[in-house]
Amino acid sequence: MPARKGFTAGLRFLLAFWAARLAALACRLIGYPGTSLPGVVALKLCPGVVEFLASYYERVLAVTGTNGKTTTSNLLAHFLRGAGLAVAHNAEGANMLPGVAAALIRDCNRLGRPRSRVAVLEVDEGSVGRVFPAAKPVIVVVTNYFRDQLDRYWELERTTGLLRSTLASLPKVTLILNADDPLVAAVGRDLANARYYGINRENGHNGGDGECAVNTVDSTTGPYSGVSGETREGRYCTSCGTELVYRYFHYGQLGDYFCPGCGFRRPEPDLAASCVEEGEHLDFTVRVGAQTLKPVSARPEFKAGMHGGAGDQPANTVLHFTAPLRGFYNVYNILAAAAAASALGVPLEAVRKSLLDYRPATGRMEEFTLGGRPCTLALIKNPAGVNEVLKTILETGTAKSLVLAINDLAADGRDVSWLWDADFARLADGQVKKIVCAGLRAADMAVCLKYAGVPPERLMLAPGRAESLRALAEQEGEELFVLATYTNLFDYARLLRRAGKEGGKSASQDLPSLS
Amino acid sequence: MRLRICHLYPDLLNLYGDRGNVLILHMRAAWRGIEVELDQISIDDRVRFTDYDLVFLGGGADQDQGLVSRDMERKGPLLVEAAEEGVVILSICGGFQLLGRYYRAQDGSVLPGVGLFDIYTEAGRRRLKGNILLDAEPDLREEMEICSPGALSTLVGFENHSGRTFLGNGARPLGRVLRGNGNNGDDRTEGARYRNAFGTYLHGPFLSKNPHFADLLIARALARRHGAVALTPLDDSLEWHAHKVMKKRLQKGCRR
Repeated sequence: MPARKGFTAGLRFLLAFWAARLAALACRLIGYPGTSLPGVVALKLCPGVVEFLASYYERVLAVTGTNGKTTTSNLLAHFLRGAGLAVAHNAEGANMLPGVAAALIRDCNRLGRPRSRVAVLEVDEGSVGRVFPAAKPVIVVVTNYFRDQLDRYWELERTTGLLRSTLASLPKVTLILNADDPLVAAVGRDLANARYYGINRENGHNGGDGECAVNTVDSTTGPYSGVSGETREGRYCTSCGTELVYRYFHYGQLGDYFCPGCGFRRPEPDLAASCVEEGEHLDFTVRVGAQTLKPVSARPEFKAGMHGGAGDQPANTVLHFTAPLRGFYNVYNILAAAAAASALGVPLEAVRKSLLDYRPATGRMEEFTLGGRPCTLALIKNPAGVNEVLKTILETGTAKSLVLAINDLAADGRDVSWLWDADFARLADGQVKKIVCAGLRAADMAVCLKYAGVPPERLMLAPGRAESLRALAEQEGEELFVLATYTNLFDYARLLRRAGKEGGKSASQDLPSLS
Repeated sequence: MRLRICHLYPDLLNLYGDRGNVLILHMRAAWRGIEVELDQISIDDRVRFTDYDLVFLGGGADQDQGLVSRDMERKGPLLVEAAEEGVVILSICGGFQLLGRYYRAQDGSVLPGVGLFDIYTEAGRRRLKGNILLDAEPDLREEMEICSPGALSTLVGFENHSGRTFLGNGARPLGRVLRGNGNNGDDRTEGARYRNAFGTYLHGPFLSKNPHFADLLIARALARRHGAVALTPLDDSLEWHAHKVMKKRLQKGCRR
């Protein structure tokens, strides 16, 4: 249904709106999160609900891609709110059409009108064909493309093809693209309104001597190189099929590449990071490229609404960013969100400040306490994501134990063979004292680890969530980790929160059995 | 003793964790003190398949499969020759289809295959996906029991394909489908084999929950040059546990 603001359409919308509100209330009463269900109800009654509501926002921004969508969109909403804007956002990661509908409905006042001026939408890469035409974003951020849930999305070509064909119907959109991912950068090829972000390997302009930390590609620790190690997507040019040549890799297929066949190459970033230092925090330098970064078609009344002023970011501006986040991959998420915020006129200096008080979303390296020890919860969902999480948690070198909780429900992906594309051989390292395998596919996880070279005596099976946490609390290590697929994540967060509250006194003893 | 493995197109046919199969073969040989030599062979590489004991091909994305099928115009006949000489071949999903007579796409166009298996594949509309349970053919069952005493007679994995494969008279299946779709969703056959060459739609990766089949492949691969080899038994309790968890789930009628 087109978004006609006529009387009947308006009535129909109001009916859908109130039905959705009731559904949300019912969800709350029975203690169900209800991030999508109200949207499902609203879409049943009024299929054009997203289109109808989205038209009230001055700006709709969308974030899509495989990994980093939730963190990037949360950062973006955080930056915009920090600049004084009211933002509607599907923060809970419900990123298909019903989730988007539910988030926009939640933003409405009682008359069914959005309260915020800007909407930041995280959009599932398989749903861009449904969400974009309805929400009509003016800015689309693309993070990266990795293989993910092949049973749902099939191959990557379909996902990238879907984005291209959808964007063709949105000619005015400004794209914010990852220059380092050839699959993403190819989307912006020959498009004038694309901006790029990336991580430079060089030392920037600090001179040749001052070596700064560089994230190099680790050689694999597997039983033999080549078969183990990272799987790289997009080895061949999407335009001409020639094998891409790389000057360097950051991870996966992300790096500095060019095509000897047709001249396609990594675009020069408009916003680049360099000198990335990892640890408890991320420290890095951010530089504006050779072009001044201008806000995209900022309307005067829009600019005026923002505190801290809006305007151009002069070429070659250099800032130093510190982020309370772990993981090299988060540099990409920060750059993407910063580029999108600056496209709305938020100064990079305001972004830098706002970043300091950002808190990670549920299960994105979220920190808890279990039995008096720090316990970090991280979402894992595909090989590239696993590899980055593993690199990050092994960075410290301290003794640790972990839970790996693998489910195979629809939202996790029914097929768990992706585990074998990840570089679990890293966990054969001696700093890992015990790995507790949990979830519906605990046994598959354990088999995979066994062949990755983890000694069997360091493996244990404890399928239930509470059971696995009890087991984890008994293991050696200064640090504990829980790496879980999507449908396990929120329950682990809840259990860990409760365990943390009960403090150091045998925290995990009283956990209810969920298994 | 040495096991020489050729991983064919590891850079192109690498979806769905299928490379795990090579890792599993490698480790199961290495744990028994058998030296493993692994070569990765891709487009334009020259290769003599008869120099290997075992050749592996996985499945890939459509675009990459196109590249492979062009390269296979040259390598295909060599692979057929190797199969005739008894080289062990394991092909999964897309690789399995490539070794058939042809693939007929949705638009009616025909992509010729290598013709190693007497099978053909036709594009289907609905994707056949989900966990799958097979009963291995009786002769394979017996052989697996010899390689891996106490082995179950079932095979488990995850299938995900839109192609419907049909067996000709010259091909035998790997097993009968107990739960799931198999080759085409109709005749309850799954996979194909010819001499020591095997093809299947099972991912998982296939060998991860089927250690008995992995050992059957290793035993046959070694037998060509070393005669019958008794494989040292391994502790497969984890693998069998994973097999049984899935088997039980499928027998309860929950394909998911």
